[in-house]
Amino acid sequence: MTERDGIGVALSGVRKSFGALQVVHGIDLTIRDGDFVVFVGPSGCGKSTLLRMIAGLEEVSDGEIAIKGRDVTDLDPSERGIAMVFQSYALYPHMSVRDNLAFGLKMARTERTEIEQRVGQAAEILKIDHLLDRRPGQLSGGQRQRVAIGRAIVRKPDVFLFDEPLSNLDAELRVSMRAEIARLHRELGNTMIYVTHDQTEAMTLADQIVILRDGRIEQTGTPRDVYENPVNTFVAGFIGSPRMNLLDAEWSGSGKVRLAGCEIGACLDSFRPGERIVFGIRPEHIRIVAGGTDAVQATVEFTEYLGGTRYVYCRLGDAQNLVVELREGDDIPSGSAVWLTAPPERRRYFDGNGARIG
Amino acid sequence: MKTRREIRARKALRDRIAYHGIGIGTAFFFLAPFMIGFLASFRPSSESGWPPLPPWPLSGISFDAYRILDGFGSGVWQHTMNSLVVSLGTVVLTVAVSVLAGYGFSRYRFPFKNALFVLIIATLMIPFQSILTPLFIILARLGLNNSLFGLMLVYVTLQLPFSVFMMRNAFDAVPKEIEEAARIDGARDLKLLVRVLLPLVMPGVATVSIFAFLNAWNEFLAALVLLSSNENYTLPVLMMAVRAGRLGAINWGAVQAGVAVMVVPCLIVFLLLQRYYMRGLMAGAVK
Repeated sequence: MTERDGIGVALSGVRKSFGALQVVHGIDLTIRDGDFVVFVGPSGCGKSTLLRMIAGLEEVSDGEIAIKGRDVTDLDPSERGIAMVFQSYALYPHMSVRDNLAFGLKMARTERTEIEQRVGQAAEILKIDHLLDRRPGQLSGGQRQRVAIGRAIVRKPDVFLFDEPLSNLDAELRVSMRAEIARLHRELGNTMIYVTHDQTEAMTLADQIVILRDGRIEQTGTPRDVYENPVNTFVAGFIGSPRMNLLDAEWSGSGKVRLAGCEIGACLDSFRPGERIVFGIRPEHIRIVAGGTDAVQATVEFTEYLGGTRYVYCRLGDAQNLVVELREGDDIPSGSAVWLTAPPERRRYFDGNGARIG
Repeated sequence: MKTRREIRARKALRDRIAYHGIGIGTAFFFLAPFMIGFLASFRPSSESGWPPLPPWPLSGISFDAYRILDGFGSGVWQHTMNSLVVSLGTVVLTVAVSVLAGYGFSRYRFPFKNALFVLIIATLMIPFQSILTPLFIILARLGLNNSLFGLMLVYVTLQLPFSVFMMRNAFDAVPKEIEEAARIDGARDLKLLVRVLLPLVMPGVATVSIFAFLNAWNEFLAALVLLSSNENYTLPVLMMAVRAGRLGAINWGAVQAGVAVMVVPCLIVFLLLQRYYMRGLMAGAVK
């Protein structure tokens, strides 16, 4: 029983089908109590469906969901100890902010004094005390989002669920609300599950990132873990912006990889010469060198100048493209030939099916 | 020499005169019948045979017409109450059924949903006069002919296709997330419908109410066919009786008084609900 105390949410073999179409294929996932977990993935990967199943808004076709050690698979959403923040805020437009916050507690027949106290507390945390008597229609997007989060806080849930809560806000507000949500997690310490397709949100907020594709978990880990040690080409390409360069290459034997006609060192021992592989390298790990061994020749096509950094788009001898991120150094004119290399410990290798091999 | 400013000011004046002139003219055409009827109802009976223009009473205001109206049947109050009972009952029943049906059609998935919905809408195409006889027989079998409740049921039936259609649209316009948020907050079933969704579909409810009220209030044929005893007559049927007059002569004064009495509740209902009504007709048009 001691182990159970540390578990916030546990999914085992959770499946979801709509008719004959299976959208979530047997998810097993354990989320530690108090962790901030982010589900990311391309649209249609099942991340929202998974969240809605945890919330109880979507029925589970197969499998079990437990929250704090309690099986909630067949419970009503209101009985699961969860609160959810929706992308569209989903405030009750005909109620004042105060009534919006209090509605759940009223439904649960909480005492009036307790309701007032909890609403006051939530309003204070979110700095919306002065808005309590307004209607949602009179609030800005950011304020509405705060009210939506406030409505979740007053329920004092075991688990907070966020369904792309920031995607309706403009860029500036998104950054500040992101910081706000991070602060909230520090202050409240609850388990939070957050769905997004924005990897910046995922990287900055998460204790654990869960990367989904086609209803399956591709990788689970800390942001650093999934960034530095992706288990396959999908994760490697999905996390990071600009994405990791994934280049077709070939084992050439004796600890070397042949890439676009050049040979570079690969510190791997198990390989079969002539086999096709994928060579992965992040743009910021590539350096421009004078030339010679352990480097690849490329032609600069164009450069994007972003102030603090530059993205140099290059083309290899075999017409594969790659991006190099440079933070210092002189401008490189388009059309010039350069030699590129990267520290061996930063190089990643994937087999023909995309699985990581080194 | 005219300055540019003067030319502009003059053009603005011309535009304003044209705009308001056309508005006033149109309003006049719509309001004139009401005004003529209303004014004519205050003519003494000696004037009731006179030409309709000028419509106002020439030899002093008189309430003769209203007295005559009240002398018909069981008195105008009794018949007004009959009409009110039938109309308000129709509104309540129509709203109750169409809210539930609209919600069901909007939110639940069930077999033949669309076919069923089209079938309901299709009944709008059947002229109701053609089903009057079967309706009469059914009501007679149920022992509901010559009863206001039976008439109310007929009106509700006739009103439902349009109302269900309206309410389905109204519920379609409510975002699903609001309902889901309410479910997480612990509102279920009837509580969810009444406390969260109903306020959001109020424009639809208002529209349905107005239509149900006006149609039931003004309906004549079914009331004439189904009601047989004098004390059950609704206002339109009373008006028919009044119009018949004595010795073939039509008592126009009493007719005008009846029109004035009948218009008042319609105006009240419309003015009370018009704010919602306009929004209701717009709902779903622009999203």
